[in-house]
Amino acid sequence: MKITWSKGLTVMLVFVLTAMLISGCTGANTIEENTKANSNTPSETNADEAPIEVGYPAAMTYWVGMDGDSMATLSNFNEVGAYKELEKITGTKVDFKHPGGDGAQVTEQFNLMVASGNLPDVIQTNWLTVPRGPQNAIKEGTVIRLNELIEEHAPNFSKFLAENPDIASMIKTDEGDIYSFPFIRGDDKIKIYYGPIIRTDWLNKLNLQPPTTIAEWETVLTAFLNDDPNGNNKKDEVPFLFSAGEVRNEALNQLIGAWDILAKFYQEDGVVKYGEIQPEYEQFVTTMRSWYEKGLIDQDFAAVDGKLKDAKVTGDTLGAFYGFASGSIGKYLDLVKDHPTFEIAPLPNPSLVKGKNSAAGQISPSYPGEHAVAITTAAKNPAEIVKWLDLGYSEQGSMLFNFGIEGESYEIVDGSPKYTEQITKNPDGLAFKQAQAQYMRTHFGGPFIQDVQSFLQQMKYPQQLAALDAWGQAENDIQLPPMTLTSEESSELASIMNDVNTYSEEMIVKFIMGVEPLSSFPEYVENLKSIGIEQAVTIQQAALDRYLQR
Amino acid sequence: MSTFIFKLGKDLRRNKIIYFMLLPVIAYYAIFQYGPMYGLQIAVKDFIPSKGFLGSPWVGFKHFEDFFGSIFFWRILGNTLLLSLYSLIFFFPAGIIFALLLNELRSNKLRRAVQTISYMPHFISLVVIVGIMFDFLARDGLINNIMAFFNIEPIPFMRSPEWFRTVYISSEVWQNIGWSSIIYLAAVSNVNPTLYEAAHIDGANRWRQMWHVTLPGIMPTVTIMLILFIGKFMSVGFEKIILMYNPVIYESADVIQTYVYRKGILEANFSYSAAVGLFNAVISFVLLILANTMAKRLGETKLW
Repeated sequence: MKITWSKGLTVMLVFVLTAMLISGCTGANTIEENTKANSNTPSETNADEAPIEVGYPAAMTYWVGMDGDSMATLSNFNEVGAYKELEKITGTKVDFKHPGGDGAQVTEQFNLMVASGNLPDVIQTNWLTVPRGPQNAIKEGTVIRLNELIEEHAPNFSKFLAENPDIASMIKTDEGDIYSFPFIRGDDKIKIYYGPIIRTDWLNKLNLQPPTTIAEWETVLTAFLNDDPNGNNKKDEVPFLFSAGEVRNEALNQLIGAWDILAKFYQEDGVVKYGEIQPEYEQFVTTMRSWYEKGLIDQDFAAVDGKLKDAKVTGDTLGAFYGFASGSIGKYLDLVKDHPTFEIAPLPNPSLVKGKNSAAGQISPSYPGEHAVAITTAAKNPAEIVKWLDLGYSEQGSMLFNFGIEGESYEIVDGSPKYTEQITKNPDGLAFKQAQAQYMRTHFGGPFIQDVQSFLQQMKYPQQLAALDAWGQAENDIQLPPMTLTSEESSELASIMNDVNTYSEEMIVKFIMGVEPLSSFPEYVENLKSIGIEQAVTIQQAALDRYLQR
Repeated sequence: MSTFIFKLGKDLRRNKIIYFMLLPVIAYYAIFQYGPMYGLQIAVKDFIPSKGFLGSPWVGFKHFEDFFGSIFFWRILGNTLLLSLYSLIFFFPAGIIFALLLNELRSNKLRRAVQTISYMPHFISLVVIVGIMFDFLARDGLINNIMAFFNIEPIPFMRSPEWFRTVYISSEVWQNIGWSSIIYLAAVSNVNPTLYEAAHIDGANRWRQMWHVTLPGIMPTVTIMLILFIGKFMSVGFEKIILMYNPVIYESADVIQTYVYRKGILEANFSYSAAVGLFNAVISFVLLILANTMAKRLGETKLW
């Protein structure tokens, strides 16, 4: 048998193959050309006229990622009590556009949306971390500067900014532009929600004191490993669940604060430093390596996700871990009901020296960056939209977003709002936050000021309230404020940090698991320098200097 | 040339319905495959969405230099080539061997049953396949439980860089062996039966018949399939890798296309990833031409 290819077929095949080859590898270039370069700042049009009173928009499109608690029962934010009520008040029909999936999938859809130029009227996301930064988003004509519009059409938000000048400077770019209606944590108590948690019944059983230093931790964890605290005569205890990702996350700072540094960028007296190239970081990694070798750290720590963590806690095998006030303490106390002694409690962040506080733990700034709403250049009626968004910062809007609908999700008791049993003991068996999601947005975030009461009422166990005090003991002076970068800085930093993150995420795990010997730490530091970590520090330093001058 | 045009015109008139049926295909390639190549220019520009392709500033070969200078360049290039090479060595012949084995089955019923069963995994969505792999290969999954029964230490298959390629290739073979054998089975059934008779009379046993009759008979098909396979050499199944990998196994799992995805789509470095993608395409193109030239030298079968 012999295949003879006719000329026509040959030509076709070459055509097809070449097309497949080239197109298959360059998916990025299918992005439509976008010629929208009209950054019409509405301020110019009515600069010399008196502010015109505008109404609410008739309709608007609103892009916002959906959180897990909302996804449990909702398919669209129009089903949320607060938004239903807002529609009654304003008559505005909001067309919510929710990206599918979560995490990287949402980032992907956001980036493609911006690149395609096919923008909705408003976008809710973390504008601090968008590629090339918020200042650049204004310059490139993705979103508009809001300062003038807010002055003219947002009385409630303007009033808030006037009363809180420190927050007002946080939400601006270095050039003074306001780019979003931000999510604001309205009280110091709301800013702390993550820290170390330990099985206190195990401590009591083995006659141990709650550990406060790294050395005491090691003693306690060793006892957890060897002395069978769960009493099943099997050595199945996992003393401590370590998470490399949470060490490297500047918003969480697991454990690393004990060594007076953060894993990534931090500052000492206005001087920016990078943690992973410091000798303190080597000490931290060395300690973790020895813990891992001794079996004090979960041997599978690199592969543990939320589900496995839940299984280890409820399966009576995990002794200590880092977690959240409601997402961990509250959840596990709810879940483990049939255990005779199960008891967990928060610990303060450990330090190296007895009697000293940890240099840093988790603390969120008043303006965390997330859930901020910006108005895009595609919006035809930005003034009206500003007026609509401003409602979120009014007395009425605050009640809607923080507590939902009076008589349904909350009632006024002794002059202050209290969640009803619809939320606290949901008849359909929904968790607290899932029930909240049906009426309000405070469980997650949005363009409003989070009320401290809405936060504290989630805490049904005293351990959760104790956590805020215990975790809040960290000094938290070395964290960087929410700075903004210029377009060039931002893309240069992103390019450096992407490589650094990919490399360091691998290396921390390898060092601790012993795949990479600790003797190659200097080599690791050299590699970080060759990727350009020192240039990244310079960029962050410039941004911090500008921030401090605001 | 003029005779070609003349012939083409004549042929067009004679077979206009057939050419008409070709139009949608040409339109598809023009619009979805050739049209987008217009955007390739962003590889030498700093793409800014609001300025569009034409308005974005030129930067020359900056993105290529960044890529070649990156500490990940050799790793992802090596990973891509190794993974492709392994699938060339282990996956590509698997379909041929499977087809030959099926051909030796005497019972038609059994052959059809085996064929149908072996096709089935091909129609399961990749997401489901990878989900199954995670369940089976987890530390407390089926495979490790069986190994524990024989007192073998559990292996975290999906978390070990050294296991990634094995897991990837073997699952690929399992999923697609039946499907990829179809074309060879068709070729085998085309081999002239008189050749087998002649071989039989000359005293060749089953093994000899397979070696001297069946294999040479399907060789042209194998060559064409090989050239096509090499054309896709650099575009390893990156959807599957994205589903399978995590930072712990980047060391062996991160390939050019996953890197392009992370850089371009997740980090919005569209220009950089267009440059990396273009580099990938150029290598593929060169490989394809090389493979075709080799085939031309070695035998008569070739793609063009």
